[in-house]
Amino acid sequence: MGAALHNLLSIITFLPLLGALVLLFVPDGKVGRGVAFWTSVVTFLVSLGLLAGFDTASTQAFQFEVNVPWVESAGIGYHVGIDGVTLLLILLTTFLMPIVIASAKSGITTRIKEFSLAMLVLETAMLGAFISLDMVLFYVFWELMLIPMFLIIGVWGSENRIYAAVKFFIYTMVGSLLMLLAILYMYWLTGQGGGERSFDYFAFLALEIAPQVQIFLFLAFAIAFAVKVPMFPVHTWLPDAHVQAPAPGSVVLAAVLLKMGTYGFYRFAFPFFPHATFELRWLIVALSVIGIIYGSLMCMAQRDMKKLIAYSSVAHLGFVMLGLSAFTTAGASGAVYQMLNHGISTGALFLLVGMLYERRGSRLIADYGGIAKVVPAFAAVWLIVTLSSIGLPGTNGFVGEFLILSGTFFSKMPKGMMWGTLATSGVVLGAVYMLWMYQRLWQGKVTKKENENIHDLTLREWMIVGPLVALIFVMGLYPTPFLKLAAPSVDRFISQLEKHDSTLAGDPPASIGAKAMEAKAPTAALEPAELRVNPDQIKPFVRRPQAVLPKALPVGDGAAIPGQGQR
Amino acid sequence: MPQYSSTDFLALAPVLILVLGGLVLLMLEVFQDSSKRGYQAWFTTAVAGLAGLAALPLLGSDPHPILAVEGKAAFAVADGFGGFIALIVCLGLGLSALAAGGFLQARDADRGEFYALAMFSAAGMALLGLSTDLLLIFIAIEIMSIPIYALAAYMRKGAKPAEAAFKYFILGAFSTAIYIYGAALIFGATGGKTGLSDIAIAVQSGGSLLLFAGLALVAVGFLFKVGAAPFHMWAPDVYEGSPTPVTAFMAVGVKAAGFAAMVRVFVVGFGGEHLANLETGWGNLFAIVALITMVVGNLLAVPQRSVKRMLAYSAIAHAGYLLLGVAAAGAPEVRAAAGEGILFYLAAYTFTGFGAFAVVSALERLDGEGPMSWDLDRFAGLGKKRPALAIAMTLFMVSLAGIPPTAGFIGKLYIFRAAIDAKLYTLAIAGILTSVISLYYYLRVVVYMYMRESEGTAVVLPEPRMNAAVALAIAAVGTLGLGLLPSILGDAAQLSAMILGG
Repeated sequence: MGAALHNLLSIITFLPLLGALVLLFVPDGKVGRGVAFWTSVVTFLVSLGLLAGFDTASTQAFQFEVNVPWVESAGIGYHVGIDGVTLLLILLTTFLMPIVIASAKSGITTRIKEFSLAMLVLETAMLGAFISLDMVLFYVFWELMLIPMFLIIGVWGSENRIYAAVKFFIYTMVGSLLMLLAILYMYWLTGQGGGERSFDYFAFLALEIAPQVQIFLFLAFAIAFAVKVPMFPVHTWLPDAHVQAPAPGSVVLAAVLLKMGTYGFYRFAFPFFPHATFELRWLIVALSVIGIIYGSLMCMAQRDMKKLIAYSSVAHLGFVMLGLSAFTTAGASGAVYQMLNHGISTGALFLLVGMLYERRGSRLIADYGGIAKVVPAFAAVWLIVTLSSIGLPGTNGFVGEFLILSGTFFSKMPKGMMWGTLATSGVVLGAVYMLWMYQRLWQGKVTKKENENIHDLTLREWMIVGPLVALIFVMGLYPTPFLKLAAPSVDRFISQLEKHDSTLAGDPPASIGAKAMEAKAPTAALEPAELRVNPDQIKPFVRRPQAVLPKALPVGDGAAIPGQGQR
Repeated sequence: MPQYSSTDFLALAPVLILVLGGLVLLMLEVFQDSSKRGYQAWFTTAVAGLAGLAALPLLGSDPHPILAVEGKAAFAVADGFGGFIALIVCLGLGLSALAAGGFLQARDADRGEFYALAMFSAAGMALLGLSTDLLLIFIAIEIMSIPIYALAAYMRKGAKPAEAAFKYFILGAFSTAIYIYGAALIFGATGGKTGLSDIAIAVQSGGSLLLFAGLALVAVGFLFKVGAAPFHMWAPDVYEGSPTPVTAFMAVGVKAAGFAAMVRVFVVGFGGEHLANLETGWGNLFAIVALITMVVGNLLAVPQRSVKRMLAYSAIAHAGYLLLGVAAAGAPEVRAAAGEGILFYLAAYTFTGFGAFAVVSALERLDGEGPMSWDLDRFAGLGKKRPALAIAMTLFMVSLAGIPPTAGFIGKLYIFRAAIDAKLYTLAIAGILTSVISLYYYLRVVVYMYMRESEGTAVVLPEPRMNAAVALAIAAVGTLGLGLLPSILGDAAQLSAMILGG
């Protein structure tokens, strides 16, 4: 049992691969999907063990750590471990995979076995990338994600699939290869002190890199991650990939694959190169805000539902990047929360579009209209997901966006107010395009005759979207447990940067997060005791708005919000 | 009269076994019923395996000179580096023989000479890995090349094979001539030295113009052999026109042996600071050639519709990456890392490059050449028609492109590591960018196999063959295995590269 617990991460990561191996020996057809589905269910159940074993009070940077040599002569190790943020992302992945595989039942009708195989390999690759603490290991998993996704888009996609698949592959690969070069350079640096060279995460973290060099290395890492996020202007592969990919492929792409980019910034690019991070922060922030506004505007011009959702991903991920680069507790935990939200809401939206597509064979908004009358339950689910995507209070999206924006306003970011205000316009635009789409699809009279006979959600479809809808509310009404898991890791992320330059990172004294104050004034006299609740710093932060936040409210979205977030 | 000891024979055992195997097979060919030739491919593989086993003890051994004559540097050395090359050569021979078995039987062209020639050639390659004297290197090159000229002409019906055979012979003879001319100049410049360690001592004080000319000519001779740009012109035609298993053997075997000799000559013979240096010495020369080769190979592979020709250009491109390693060896302190990278890359390419050619040979039309014989269209829909073959080909393409978790990725990692250690940043970036170009043409094969249906007249694929399937399976397992557990060979490569110093 001890050994199993010790290797829990590896077990979870390689379970899907084991399922894939089994798949090789089953006959073609539905059996394959069954194997894949149950494998992913078991993986999810086992991954819940992480939740049980994870200790939020721990001061360790990483838990469930395993570090064994892999290629000893080259300093490559099999080093894995997770922090709270990774834990959440892992759970998101393992939670979504069974849903995605189940949803493929109606959409994927040819070469089912191969599809299931690709999905399982993809799951292993994604989980592996999240847990890796060795740069070569990370790179291996990172690249391994490409091939199954490439096949999923290219084999099971729609008309223009080959173009989209190749574009996806080449965009991502250009970025990753530059990162590989940077990794190799840093590996060379680790040996400059006279010791053994190593690809280990901590060896890289401990490097003291000259500022000019940092800029180049940071750019190499940032391009790789920015393509994946995707940030403006390297986002152009995303609409193509999303539109052409089959529905289950789109879900995985949006829900998990894009998070790799933001996760990469959080785990590697920012902590490795603090100097370059501060130097180029304006660029990251500007591109994020441009992404938010540009993505939202593009959404309004789309006629294809999938393309619209794809551009909305650009906007949502822009929020995540903005929150991360605010370098405040609120911003970063909001970013983490928004990563989960985006996975759930956008994943659900793609699933719903897929279901609609199966009924009518069209993704064009104009081919629908007024169908809420025909399929009321479908419309209700769609509306809930839409509202979550907009960030209506009571849904998960609100908590994320609120934290990100307040974290941006009250940060040490130069011109934080301006960027925050600009980003807030994205919230408004988001409501516009999402509600407009809802109106055009569902409301009014039934415009097309063919639409009069489409059927409502089946039991299987309820089973697929049900868990997601439930999560939307759970995470919207009671975010504390999720935030609590991420809190220590987020703090560590912030304090690392703050240590480097406390004038640019960390929570400003006026802000709600008490962390920065604590660090500088351990006397605690400045803060009322009950506000420094530990270790769940987040609680005060959702409760406290009443006391401190009023300043923010006029700019944020809606004054009724603060109290609601918590209950 | 030189005295040869038993250690000499032990060190030469792989070479001797290969020669003996070739002779035995020729004898058997005479006495055997001509309808029973199925054993020959397996026999060749067994001999290759035996020779490989005989090379194993070399891996860990301390280098000791063999074939020594009083007062002169030894002609050859028994060390891990040579042992590793012998292993790679034997691997390439064994796999190619199996693939050739299926290929030749399907075309009713199975003859003992084919395998015997291959074994003789492999003997030359193994010897080349051990040689430390310009003259012995010349002899080994000839032992390696002449049987290959014959093999290239083995199925000479039609314009393309004839062109290929003739071109290879003429240009091959040219390149050895250039090499030996260079060797002669060095001989003159050093006052009558041919042994590499003698040369190293003689050139310590600096070089004359004569020496530089000789050095350049020797380099050109090697660059011709390994198909580096701008001396690559013969490669696409020859690779495309030769029988595919021969192409595979050429691509992996000649390349391994050629690089081994090149590294040894330049590092051991001309490794001094003033000659090797990355700004003005041969380090710079190889850096430029590596850059040209990477660019030319990768760019010219892009427009090819014939998969076989595409793989030929890809072989050129891979020679470019290996040259990057050779250039890095110009810096004395990175020699061990560069050597390790080159050895590992060669091993990885042996599995992967062979595998890709073997898939091509398994799909080729039985009735000889033709414009469509290797066209991408023959790969259309392969994912459905031959799932196992398609998976294997995908693996090889992924590995050639250098994507994990395959041998090709680890190979590139090692090579780029050496390049960065030697501060060849521009070259490393060029290597990365050209790898991106390569994605396009490697992926295209995958796209055709899985995402296109075959159009028009149904493509008739030859029946699968047992021995070719075994060879492909070994290649696929090797490609993936070296990607997942690189230490299996990586440690041996590291140990073997120690002799390069640094």
